[in-house]
Amino acid sequence: MTTPVLEIRNLHARIEEREILKGVNLVIPQGQVHAIMGRNGSGKSTLSYVLAGKEDYEVTEGEILLNGENILEMEPHERAAAGLFLAFQYPIEIPGVATMTFLKAAINAQRKARGEGELTTPDFMRAVKEAGAQLNVDSEMLKRPLNVGFSGGEKKRAEIMQMALLKPSLAVLDETDSGLDIDALQVVSKGVNALRDGKRSMLVITHYQRLLNHIVPDVVHVFSDGKIVESGDKDLALQLEAKGYADYDGQAA
Amino acid sequence: MRQTFPVRLGAAEESLIAQLKAAGATQAAERVTVAGLPTRRVEAYHYTDLKTLLRAIPPLAQAANEATGTALRVPGAYALSIVNGAVLGAATAPEGIKVGKTQGGVLTNRDDVIVSVSNALAKETLSLDLKGAVEQVVQIDHRIEGEAGHVADATKIFVADDSSAVILETFSGSDAAHVGNHATYLALGRNAVVTHVTIDLSTRATSHFATNEYHLADGAQLRTLVIHAGAGLARTHLFPRMAGEGAHADVTGLNLVSDGQHSDITMETQHAVPHTSSQPLFKSITRGRSKAVVQGKLIVARDAQKTDAKFMHQGLMLSDDAEILSKPELEIYADDVVCGHGSTCGKLDEDSLFYLLSRGIPKAEAETMLVRGFIAELIDPIEDEALNEALQGIVDNWLLGDK
Repeated sequence: MTTPVLEIRNLHARIEEREILKGVNLVIPQGQVHAIMGRNGSGKSTLSYVLAGKEDYEVTEGEILLNGENILEMEPHERAAAGLFLAFQYPIEIPGVATMTFLKAAINAQRKARGEGELTTPDFMRAVKEAGAQLNVDSEMLKRPLNVGFSGGEKKRAEIMQMALLKPSLAVLDETDSGLDIDALQVVSKGVNALRDGKRSMLVITHYQRLLNHIVPDVVHVFSDGKIVESGDKDLALQLEAKGYADYDGQAA
Repeated sequence: MRQTFPVRLGAAEESLIAQLKAAGATQAAERVTVAGLPTRRVEAYHYTDLKTLLRAIPPLAQAANEATGTALRVPGAYALSIVNGAVLGAATAPEGIKVGKTQGGVLTNRDDVIVSVSNALAKETLSLDLKGAVEQVVQIDHRIEGEAGHVADATKIFVADDSSAVILETFSGSDAAHVGNHATYLALGRNAVVTHVTIDLSTRATSHFATNEYHLADGAQLRTLVIHAGAGLARTHLFPRMAGEGAHADVTGLNLVSDGQHSDITMETQHAVPHTSSQPLFKSITRGRSKAVVQGKLIVARDAQKTDAKFMHQGLMLSDDAEILSKPELEIYADDVVCGHGSTCGKLDEDSLFYLLSRGIPKAEAETMLVRGFIAELIDPIEDEALNEALQGIVDNWLLGDK
């Protein structure tokens, strides 16, 4: 059996004194797209931050294996180099740092961490141009400071473009549909689908079913009160959309 | 209010008085005798108490024949040097630049000890007349060489009507407890466009004082950038005077302060006539146990209507032990103006840092990117490529240097 890209075992995490993740178990095999659905405050976004290694959260129990390797002791930048990518719900605006400079720094830092040489400028420019074309990210946007003054749609397109350039083995998409109109949603989904290559795995976090019409998942998980309470195929998302999350409230306790 | 009882004079004041008397500057000597060095009770020195900070004034520096080095070389620049107060023979000046020497101080007399000492002790003055579109960066490289010495030097620059120039002043020297008192008077003719960058790269042992006075005629456009990145004690006092309609000044500065250092940029801008504008923007980055000060005063004369001016100071604290002090002052006598001030202070933004880390950028590199981003607003407008790169290099060196 091949090693799953992501394996989460009995993960507990808290912020300050409040426990938010209460025993998450999840296995994503190579090439699969899993969706996590749940209402606001159920801990979905916390899961994405804990995966990426945000300092504010303390993992009290459990393991996270990325391609068979425990990443809990790794710094966020080491996790990225190991193949993890988090597309933020709210991409951060960073004044004074040109998007192009940032992209180059990120790509080369990851290559360096993996013992690969830096990309030459022409190769880098070519890669950026290709990735940008797919997602309608033009050179004018790349000259601007990172995410500064970008519209909601531009920010999300820029996130997916980063993902295309960084080529992670696991992409975590946190509420990628929030703040997008239908047109932007289609562009972003197309970009994401183009990166489904049978090897790369994805974890799509959302609380609306509509995103899953565009990015069709292999497995849907329902998240409630800090853990996964039910899993099924894509039809589970449709049922949730019809009935809401109320059925799961009792189970959490 | 001036104190009427005699102050207790310290060693620094005693040597200063002796030096002033020897130079025949009786009045300046008398002033120091009566008032002493300014303490925190003098408003302009509120956060930079010279009586406490300046414990000794070394003897007046001996003449030196040459500079032993330079702190900053900018490719393509036309460089002149002033070593221990003496203007050294300059190479043939390119077109549009006339270099001369005169005697005496260059600053307008005011109730300020650094100004009066400068005017009393400055002997040889470098004078520059710039005309037309001066392509090369004009660098004035100030050096203090040898044993600890007290130096007062002075520069007077005239930029003719409709002319443009980029002027760089660098300050550095041997590793000794020097006291440098540097004065620059820069006059911009009608519609002149000037960038004036001053950078202190002295050693930690040095105390660096600079006073820059600017005079802007109608339509003149000035951009200034003061960078403190060297001396243990640094203070630059800026006096821009918006004297002609349509004049505009971007008055900017950067304190880069490490453990044990104290850096102060103090500005007093006069909007003397109607329809002038200024945009003072200062930033301070501190680490270790250090102190950064920015004071900004905007004075708008009675008939200087339609003045548009906003003072801003932004502080970035890289340690918990540092202090960043900010003092805006508005003195407005006209009634139809837009004037304001703002001040912010904080650490590196955790969310921004996490975002960069999550993309695989290691912490130190991510912090450097954020710090560079923080000051990009100051460095980016410097259009000369070689100079821009040199400034970026100074910031990078500071980031890599001793905490």
